[in-house]
Order: sequence, then structure tokens, then C-alpha cells
Amino acid sequence: MNSTMTLSALTTLTGLDVFDYLDQEVSVPVIDGMQAQGDLIVVPHILLADSVRTVSWSRYVHVPLSGIELLRSAAGGNPHSLVADEGLCTWSTGVQDTRRLALGILDTEVTAYLIHPEHGATGIAPGRYVIGRQRERGFGGFESPQLVAD
Amino acid sequence: MPLGCDRIHSPPVRIAGDIVNSRTRMDQRIHRRPAIVKATLWDSLRTSLFDGVAASIRTLLPPVSGGLPWYGQQEAHRVAFYEFYRSTGLATFRSNDENMLDILAALVGSTGWWWTFDEVCVMSERPVILDTEPTPGGTHNERRLHSADAPALQFADGAAVYVQHGAIVPEWVVLDPTVERIAQERNVEVRRTAIERIGWDAYIDMAGLKMVDRSDDPGNPGCELQLFDAPQQWRNNSRILLTVNGSLERDGHRRRYGLHVPRWISSSLDAAGWTYGIRGHDYARLARRT
Repeated sequence: MNSTMTLSALTTLTGLDVFDYLDQEVSVPVIDGMQAQGDLIVVPHILLADSVRTVSWSRYVHVPLSGIELLRSAAGGNPHSLVADEGLCTWSTGVQDTRRLALGILDTEVTAYLIHPEHGATGIAPGRYVIGRQRERGFGGFESPQLVAD
Repeated sequence: MPLGCDRIHSPPVRIAGDIVNSRTRMDQRIHRRPAIVKATLWDSLRTSLFDGVAASIRTLLPPVSGGLPWYGQQEAHRVAFYEFYRSTGLATFRSNDENMLDILAALVGSTGWWWTFDEVCVMSERPVILDTEPTPGGTHNERRLHSADAPALQFADGAAVYVQHGAIVPEWVVLDPTVERIAQERNVEVRRTAIERIGWDAYIDMAGLKMVDRSDDPGNPGCELQLFDAPQQWRNNSRILLTVNGSLERDGHRRRYGLHVPRWISSSLDAAGWTYGIRGHDYARLARRT
């Protein structure tokens, strides 16, 4: 996959849709640091190395160009999808996380992209990242947190 | 309705089997399946009817063990799909399957959900109100339930479902959103809908929220993170972080979210970091938010 992509090129290539009011011709930035897409955050693994790691029961898959759905929004639509050139990018789930927020660990040798109908696309530079969810304080009692589903 | 009555003890296995067998036979006679037919008829209708209408009606029913056998009216996508092949002549079906298709088309066009048993058929009325809007991003006229100030779906007996832009919400969100109810609500989307009906500025004012801290929102140029004290009477020991969506809505506005964070957090950056499980000074390095 080319490292400079427009939103329209990316949606054509992957077959994933975004809302039609997003600017289709803008180049999708590729970020090698921390970035957030709605209620998901992409964090360089080095920052969370003490909390998040793969363990013997973790499983990984090669991320296909057609995408892996990471999380769906509360209303039922709008998934966050992870796409990359096949074979050069893996997604590990069932990882250990003392914070219980990680969806998984991304290891990629190519630019990977997160695509969401409402938020558009964002590029992730080669590297190792934790992709995690957002939480807020629960009302159920004491300190029970709950996960944000926007 | 006395569902324990003997006549309807036997499950509707036979008729369900007839319908499935008929579909299987019709499928065998459809030799060319352009993707556009499935996308425009089957997928589009199924999204609008199953994910939208049927999902909303289900919230009015008590939980049914083993699920409901079928939806009747909201299965129009199946009828439309086979009807397309029949009416265009792209497939020719056996006469008994054409008869079945006619019966199903008549049912879809004339009744609500229905259940048939050996000697009894239960048919339900259709909703008297069904308000929808185009689903954003829908390419084949998919629609989702939406009514700004009233039920999006209502039956003649008054049973109603309130739906805002496809999200099913409790009645109070639309009719009487109050500061107290918003504080109790667990679902952040429901809370957002209720607060947005009041308006964030008015809500913060009415709830008597006092700003504790504010900072630029990293990765989200021109936007601010604001941290508020929740009113004492809530007794939920939390603060509220007001965040701004990184992406524009269709109308050019940015949606704002209020998230509850623990009360011991006193900086808005620490609060935002906490929601993602990282430290505030790490969150300050967020390069991009969409």
C-alpha cells in the first residue's frame, strides 16, 4: 500500500465506507506517535510496556486489506476497522492488560490505517502499538469503571 | 393473549420448513447473482428493517427464550429479492414456490409480525407511527428510525419506542430530560442525547457545575478540555470531563461529550489521560484526534 493515501483511495482499496460529508481527497496523515479516533486510542507500546503484553494464550491474525473490525459503536453501526497490506501487519488479541482497556497489540511493518465511517481514516506508521478503549467512572458504586461506547 | 393454550403448543416447525425449502429451491434456480441486486434489495432492506425497525420492536417485548422464529413484515427483503428475479424473468420458479412467494408478499404487505401454528395463526397489527431518516453513509437508500420530539415507532395501543438518529433511548430523554436523570443514566450515548436536547451550556448551568480546570485539547486544534465538579447532591464522587469530538458532524458542528472521571483527578489533562488509561503528561503528547 502506498504510504500517501487519500481517503477516497483508501475506501476504494478496502471496500470500507465513510460518511459522504468527509473530505475524500485530503491526504490521510500517518502518525508514529499517539493518536485517538473517537473512543479508541493508539499508544506506542513502549509507553504501556509495563501494563500490556502478549501472553501464551494471546492469538494473532494477519490484518487483511479488507479490514478487521475492532469495535462497534453503541448504536449498532459505525465500526472502527483496522486495515493494512496483508502479511506485513499482525493484530494480537487476548493480551494481558492490568488496566483492562487494551483491545489488542498491533505489530506492523507497513503503514496501517484505522477507518471509521464518522471519523474517516488515520495512518499508523510501522511499529508496535497498543490499541485500547476509553473508560469513564461508573455509577454502580465504589470505583467500578465502565467502558465508553460512543 | 393466552399463549399457554393447547392449540399453539406445537411449534411452527412445518410451515417454517416449507418456507425454508421453498427458498432453497428458488436459490437453486437463480444462476446469475449480480452483487448489485443483493446490495440494493436484500442488504439495504435488511439493514433498514432488521437493524432498525425489528430491533426497536423487540425492546417492547419481554425476553423470549430461544428468540422469535421470524419477523413477518420485517422480512420484506427476502420477498423483494425473489420477487425481483421472478418479475424480471432472470429466474423461473416452480409454481408451488411462486404460490409461496405470493403468500409471503401478501403477508408482508398486510400484517405485522405473525406466528402460525397447526390450527391457530397469531397476527399482530402494524405500527401506526414509523418515522425514519436516511442512514448516513447509506448508499442504497438505507433508513434508520428517528423522530426528534416524538416516538419514532408507536402501536395503536400506545406502546412506543423513542429513537434518535437510530439510537434507542428511554422516553424521558425526549419528553423530559432532567439533570437528575442524566446523572443516573449509565449509557453515555443516551446521556449525550439527553444533554444535547437541553444543550451543553444550559445543562452545565442548570446542574450548577463549577469548572475545576481547563487546557488545550492535544491533537485537536482549537478545542479545549474542561473539567467540572459534579454537584454535591449527586453523591457519585465524580467529576465531569467535557471533551470535543475530533471530527465534524454532517452539519459542521463538533459533538461534545461529558465523561465521568474520579473526583481525585484535578487536571483536565490527567482526566483525559485517565479515560484512556495513560498519564496526563503522556496524553499531552497526543499527536492527532479524529
